[in-house]
Amino acid sequence: MPSRRRTLLKVIILGDSGVGKTSLMNQYVNKKFSNQYKATIGADFLTKEVQFEDRLFTLQIWDTAGQERFQSLGVAFYRGADCCVLVYDVNSMKSFENLNNWRDEFLIQASPSDPENFPFVVIGNKIDIDGGNSRVVSEKKARAWCASKGNIPYFETSAKEGVNVEEAFQCIAKDALKSGEEEELYLPDTIDVGNSSQQRSTGCEC
Amino acid sequence: MLDGTEDEEKFLAAGIAGLQQNSFYMHRALDSNNLRDALKYSAQMLSELRTSKLSPHKYYELYMRAFDQLRKLEMFFEEETRRGCSIIDLYELVQHAGNILPRLYLLCTVGSVYIKSKEAPAKDVLKDLVEMCRGIQHPVRGLFLRSYLSQVSRDKLPDIGSEYEGDADTVSDAVEFVLQNFTEMNKLWVRMQHQGPAREKEKREKERSELRDLVGKNLHVLSQIEGVDLDMYKDIVLPRVLEQVVNCKDELAQFYLMDCIIQVFPDEYHLQTLDVLLGACPQLQPSVDIKTVLSQLMERLSHYAASSAEVLPEFLQVEAFAKLSNAIGRVIEAQPDMPTLGVVTLYSSLLTFTLHVHPDRLDYADQVLGACVRKLSGKGKIEDSKATKQVVALLSAPLEKYNDIMTALKLSNYPRVLEYLDVPTIRVMATVIIQSIMKNGTRISTSDKVEALFELIKGLIKDSDGTSNDKLDEDDFKEEQNSVARLIQMFYNDDPEEMLKIIETVRKHILAGGPKRLPFTVPPLVFCSLKLVRQLQGQEENPFGDDASTTPKKIFQLLNQIIETLSGIPVPELALQLYLQCAEAANDCELEPVAYEFFTQAYILYEEEISDSRAQITCIHLIIGTLQRMHVFGVENRDTLTHKATGYSAKLLKKPDQCRAVYACSHLFWVEDHDNMKDGERVLLCLKRALRIANAAQQMANAARGSTGSVMLFIEILNKYLYFFEKGNPQITVASIQSLIELIMNEMQSDSTTSDPAAEAFLASTMRYVQFQKQKGGAVGEKYEPIKYEPIKA
Repeated sequence: MPSRRRTLLKVIILGDSGVGKTSLMNQYVNKKFSNQYKATIGADFLTKEVQFEDRLFTLQIWDTAGQERFQSLGVAFYRGADCCVLVYDVNSMKSFENLNNWRDEFLIQASPSDPENFPFVVIGNKIDIDGGNSRVVSEKKARAWCASKGNIPYFETSAKEGVNVEEAFQCIAKDALKSGEEEELYLPDTIDVGNSSQQRSTGCEC
Repeated sequence: MLDGTEDEEKFLAAGIAGLQQNSFYMHRALDSNNLRDALKYSAQMLSELRTSKLSPHKYYELYMRAFDQLRKLEMFFEEETRRGCSIIDLYELVQHAGNILPRLYLLCTVGSVYIKSKEAPAKDVLKDLVEMCRGIQHPVRGLFLRSYLSQVSRDKLPDIGSEYEGDADTVSDAVEFVLQNFTEMNKLWVRMQHQGPAREKEKREKERSELRDLVGKNLHVLSQIEGVDLDMYKDIVLPRVLEQVVNCKDELAQFYLMDCIIQVFPDEYHLQTLDVLLGACPQLQPSVDIKTVLSQLMERLSHYAASSAEVLPEFLQVEAFAKLSNAIGRVIEAQPDMPTLGVVTLYSSLLTFTLHVHPDRLDYADQVLGACVRKLSGKGKIEDSKATKQVVALLSAPLEKYNDIMTALKLSNYPRVLEYLDVPTIRVMATVIIQSIMKNGTRISTSDKVEALFELIKGLIKDSDGTSNDKLDEDDFKEEQNSVARLIQMFYNDDPEEMLKIIETVRKHILAGGPKRLPFTVPPLVFCSLKLVRQLQGQEENPFGDDASTTPKKIFQLLNQIIETLSGIPVPELALQLYLQCAEAANDCELEPVAYEFFTQAYILYEEEISDSRAQITCIHLIIGTLQRMHVFGVENRDTLTHKATGYSAKLLKKPDQCRAVYACSHLFWVEDHDNMKDGERVLLCLKRALRIANAAQQMANAARGSTGSVMLFIEILNKYLYFFEKGNPQITVASIQSLIELIMNEMQSDSTTSDPAAEAFLASTMRYVQFQKQKGGAVGEKYEPIKYEPIKA
């Protein structure tokens, strides 16, 4: 019997403000792109059905606010993630340098059971800009960083032109599935046979 | 007794435990396709969200766990419908849940499946759900429930191109739904501040602040709806959102939501609706930090303008500068108590904006600075350090944009803004200006520009009225004055007339600098002037003998005056060096009297001012070196000067110093390429005198310490002998060299001499040179051949 909980894969996209997290998600899920910059507030997800080895999975892709002031409630949604996508803009050195912080922050907050082997995928976005002339982070440099962090798969994409987006998410889905980040198995202390209603309601009856 | 946070942890843990237990049973029910139990346990699970004991952060943790479970339930509902269960029945069924909060969560979850099934138009289901959610009026619970509704409906809005798009006017339905949810959420959020006891106000404010993104997220959803084009944004979205913002009369909400509007909607929309957006600003509560809101708007638009030249026409078309400028004026007008920081921040943002959008309209930039000056006037110097920083940012912006101080100099209000800074900051700003000039290698080419520039950097040029520099760190002061010195070197014009004017202008300003600054600023001015002399030197004198024209003579007169200003300080060594530089330049211009005058000045300084023996040594060597290169003097003048120089040399305090200076003087009588300045006899006289002094030095050492000193001096003199020997001075004979070598050997072997490896090495290499010359053969070899030398056997 295929376990229901295994058919849903949770992916978190992180990265600095303006690197194209929302655009990557929109390109992958809706095949749409807008050049306009619109900040994301809080966390927001879209889902997409993916087929893998004759099985259907629902990919739950969480897009996040890159600007800290729009993340007022914290990051409880990291919990239970199966894969984390780190995005930077190849035309911004700072966004690349911050990948370290995003990765550390994720590992601390999500506290996966096996942080060493938790699947990350790195995406260098906006390779289309200025025909690649304004690029400041070389592919070599990015790959070196990925290698140093335990061979993180690396993709260079253009969310605008849809280059490599599909491939990147294929990899993301595959890694998320492989990670098998099992949810902690819950077993109740006692098994009620009667009708146990939770009587810890508090004041208001709504 | 537990403190608040520990309490909370306990409640959260209990909530999670209850949630896990019920979700366990829910899963069992799902696995066995037991719909009734699934609903029962999911409702019990959701009951955990009815707690009031958690802060928003903790509640969010609990909510997320429930949220994850509901995704599985949602999948189950989908499977159920595929198995033939009617979605409409399901929609009815979940409403049997006992408590309203679980009921509404379940309803939203089934609703999501309902929309997907397309058995009813999306807009009807959405409308139903958003209405039903009114049932929860508890702010935290209500906000999270509505946030849940917003999330599950996120990809099911009847947007254009969406599969849920209905027949007609559907985007409006989507927008209407989100706006309604937004309005309700904002009401819950604003009302929260009025609930609970007054003493917990601070805590409530903090909690409200944590919850803000739940409200703001609706705006994000609106911005992501593709069907919201400019028209719809202008006609419906923005007015409705602003109406809510203005009417809620809540400071926190207004500030946050204005920020959200600016950040989530695209730049093009802002440009086309500037009037409306800016029009809302004066309607906000007076306590709202409107300057930050406006600054963020201008910052965003500045980035947009900088992104591509193609977008600039949009800005012009809507007259963005005028609108922003007016809006700022109105805001400042409306808030007479606005602190200086706020005022300057606003103008600084506006200036950055206009520099990006209208780089060609310097008048706009000047206008902004002028408006800023008007607001600052009457308030005296700015004392707030943050405001000061902001002014520095304001004044740095044009420099960064144009990379050219010339442009900033055209801004008439620029120096007027400077006046409101305190003295240390004026100096910082002056340094920034100089750095900009140095970085860009800007040539300052007219006296007018120099005049204007000195006005800007006057903080470095002279003490400001009533304040002294006592407190200033010595190193900082030096650093600053060095930068002024570097700056003076950047003044240049090819035209000698203009260059002279520049020099006069610089002179006028630096003379006001006082004794501490002159030693830094006079030298670069002198060298600037000498540069002009060199330039004129190659040219013919003006044939018409026009008095007004720039001639080296005139510049030398000026130089004399300039250097004279150092006399009162006193820095005699520096003045002496500068006189010598001038003398050399006068020499190259063939101006004997002028050169003589400069030498005279240098000698006077030497005799009257320089008493330190170390300084004397340095100066006498400078004098000898310079005098050696002078060819302009006639016999009489030259004799006077050389005679004096040898006299000074022989009067130095320490014998070795005397000796070295005297043998250096020998070069004054033997100048290569000038046959009339070769006097072998006097060369020999100098060297012999040096030898006598060296002897005396040895004896003194013997008498005082019981051992003779080093033979170093003799070897140095030997080198001089060899030099003149080689140059063909007939007075220097092989015999005299030979006897000097023997003298040195004897000294070195004498018992009372302490061995000196340096002297031994020096002698060895001197003799190696002789050997080398011998081996050359020919005339040189022959000349050296008679010199004999037997090294000492160790």
